[in-house]
Amino acid sequence: MTNLAAAARKHAPIFLVAAFTLLPPAGPAQAQKAGGSITVGQELDIPGFDPLKVGVYDTSTFTAAAAIFDTLTTLDEKGEAAPKLAVSWTHSDDYMSWTFKLREGVKFHDGTPFNAQAFKENFDRQKDPANKCRCAFYITNVKEVLAPDEYTVVYKLTDPSVNLPSVITIQSQNNAVHSPTAWKTKGDDYNRNPVGTGPYILKSWTAGDRMVLEKNPDYWNKGRPYLDRIILKPLPDAQSRFASLQSGEADIIWDDENDADNIMKAQKDSKLTVHTYKGSGAAVYAFNTKVAPFDDVRVRQALVMAIDRPKMSQAISNGLSRPATNPYGDGSWVKCKDDGALPFDVEKAKALIKDYGKPVEFKTLVTATPRGRMIGQVLQQFWKRAGANMEIEQVDQATIPPRAFMRQFQLIPWRIVDLADPDPQMYANFRSGSPLALANFADPELDRLLDHSRVTADPAARIEDYCAISRLINKEAVWFWTFQNTYYALSSAKLKGFPKMYNGVIDVSTTWLE
Amino acid sequence: MLNFVARRLLAILPVLLAVSLLTFLIASLLPGDLAYVILGDQATPENVAALRRDMGLDQPLWWRYLSWLGHVLQGDLGRSFRTGQTVLQAVAERIPVSLELMLMAEFIGLLIGVPLAIACAARAGGAFDRFMTGSAFAMLSMPSFLMAILLIYLFAVELRWLPATGYVPFTEEPLANLRFFVLPALTLALAEWPGIMRVLRSDMIATLQEDYIALAKAKGLKPARILFVHALKPSSLTLVTVTGINIGRLLGGTLIVESIFALPGIGRLLVGAIYTRDLVILQGVVLLVASGFVIVNFIVDMLYAVLDPRIRHGHA
Repeated sequence: MTNLAAAARKHAPIFLVAAFTLLPPAGPAQAQKAGGSITVGQELDIPGFDPLKVGVYDTSTFTAAAAIFDTLTTLDEKGEAAPKLAVSWTHSDDYMSWTFKLREGVKFHDGTPFNAQAFKENFDRQKDPANKCRCAFYITNVKEVLAPDEYTVVYKLTDPSVNLPSVITIQSQNNAVHSPTAWKTKGDDYNRNPVGTGPYILKSWTAGDRMVLEKNPDYWNKGRPYLDRIILKPLPDAQSRFASLQSGEADIIWDDENDADNIMKAQKDSKLTVHTYKGSGAAVYAFNTKVAPFDDVRVRQALVMAIDRPKMSQAISNGLSRPATNPYGDGSWVKCKDDGALPFDVEKAKALIKDYGKPVEFKTLVTATPRGRMIGQVLQQFWKRAGANMEIEQVDQATIPPRAFMRQFQLIPWRIVDLADPDPQMYANFRSGSPLALANFADPELDRLLDHSRVTADPAARIEDYCAISRLINKEAVWFWTFQNTYYALSSAKLKGFPKMYNGVIDVSTTWLE
Repeated sequence: MLNFVARRLLAILPVLLAVSLLTFLIASLLPGDLAYVILGDQATPENVAALRRDMGLDQPLWWRYLSWLGHVLQGDLGRSFRTGQTVLQAVAERIPVSLELMLMAEFIGLLIGVPLAIACAARAGGAFDRFMTGSAFAMLSMPSFLMAILLIYLFAVELRWLPATGYVPFTEEPLANLRFFVLPALTLALAEWPGIMRVLRSDMIATLQEDYIALAKAKGLKPARILFVHALKPSSLTLVTVTGINIGRLLGGTLIVESIFALPGIGRLLVGAIYTRDLVILQGVVLLVASGFVIVNFIVDMLYAVLDPRIRHGHA
């Protein structure tokens, strides 16, 4: 079975990683120091942790979840799945079933043993239709989770997934493993009294103010974590959040490109460190190809070719935004020699619109925020130069998904988020018939490539598929990409060991103070 | 006097009812269907329909209002769909912060405004009076978010005297608590004192024209005694009104100031509820706050009666 041999080769590094993480770090470049306390300035209030209550975690909740909970797998610095609560994994030939061997001897903070049964109970609770959990929508691709013995769990999928171990690494409502005893005994109060197996234990939490996390002395990964205490504080205002970092009240803060001025100030300050993570994915737009004028490929191509991304980046974020030419981005393992991106060419755009012959007039949805308006105005100017008249329709952020689902738009903004594997989002966004295939565009070759890439194990073959997909979409110009996802955190220069911000998550559970 | 209190109390009821209706309508008419907000990118038509049924959003507006009002009258303002907290829990946790902020702001505002008003009125039209009237205008036109950032930059980042953001409860560390409140309260107070000063100044100038002041002067009383003892109380009727109405303005101010200084008060709760479309919290908090405002103004009315006997006897 060459397939099995290939799988074994593919997984060999994983077993090596498993062996290494159990050893103490040998001769590190920087000596990790134990002890100390840090304060994290977040953007939002954390609503809670019970998936049944909060439904979906936001970025601020992710940070706390990364400290309180563990997931089966985690992403290493290379972006590959590495062991956490699972020590090893195998899959069926058709990638419809994944078997995880669990770490033995792990206990939740309340003393409940972590085992396959506990994991299955977590999953079943979310999946149970009687619980009406909003979180269930995110695990529709998992038919069931089995617990054949104490330390084995099996994911049975409805669709093949060649990269499941890296897709389930995010500290999300679905992947964080909770203590079944805790949610059963605490009932309604569990939401604000979460219990996991993670490196930190929730000590106290004042609504809207601070969450105090204390080091878990019995953490399964001996010697970890380093910090004694982590304090999470919502600091909603960007200016005062940055001032709190400057004055030393916060040691690390969340930030984004909208706050370009402060990011640049921090870059010049020797007492501060700017952490940047160039994630995969991008800010994207979908044309409704069933509605004029976007039923004509010439119009779509013309609009894409009229966008001067570097100039746009300068206008919206002092040049911090990184232009995107495909849906994967520099942060993805999908690298294309040729992604088929259309060049920036105003003359060609004008010619295409002239060739189309009719006036090009349409509406674009933008979010009713200063940033949304600004982006809309910049695009409006670009397209005016090419001879197209765009009208800006400002809508509330919350109305964009329903307009998308009901296809009530001509041009709509969307986002491809940073995920370890392109399949979940590419399949949802481009496979004909998917509720999220916003462009209403169907192409047999595109469907074939999408179907093939999700059942192919060989990364090189998948890269070929995805690059062909990018070329096809770029040529047809049914969607276009403006800027790649870049995530920011600003910290005191003394904070060390901060990992990559996968999915934009600030994970301070492995950091230490110099 | 009892009759007067009863009349005022009766007048409050329709106001509160109107407040509840408006609150409900504003929250319900916000753009963006709650079901879509909750479902996000999973908002397929089937999911949306199911969730709307579960949440009663498919019922007509008037029915939803009456059923909400019915629950409110039984003391049940509902639960946040995000945190599972009841409105009363959430408000009880956060109201001490906002009250402390507003009281401190009003106190600082009076501390600045009253002496300045008296000083201006004592020499109305003088150089100091003209300078202060001008300054008051300048302060009034300064938005609080700008003032907050300037104060943070000066006192927290440059001088490092006070913290930029944060909070500890008064019951845990009283001194630290006050330190955290200085800048936010000052931000609000700097927008408050001009109003206080201008109102008191003009009333005071009018009072100082009265015959009994001339008599007091003729008797040889010290100017300070005339100003503080004889002129201040009769001049403060409008000030009391303004202070009462200011509570409403201050509440508005807390929306911005609590967000900037990261104080866990009612303002932050409201802003968060608006952003996350947490309608139950939004409706409940606005209703409680508006009722509080109505009650504060009721108390102000009662204070009039104390300050001016003509009002309590109905001759005003």
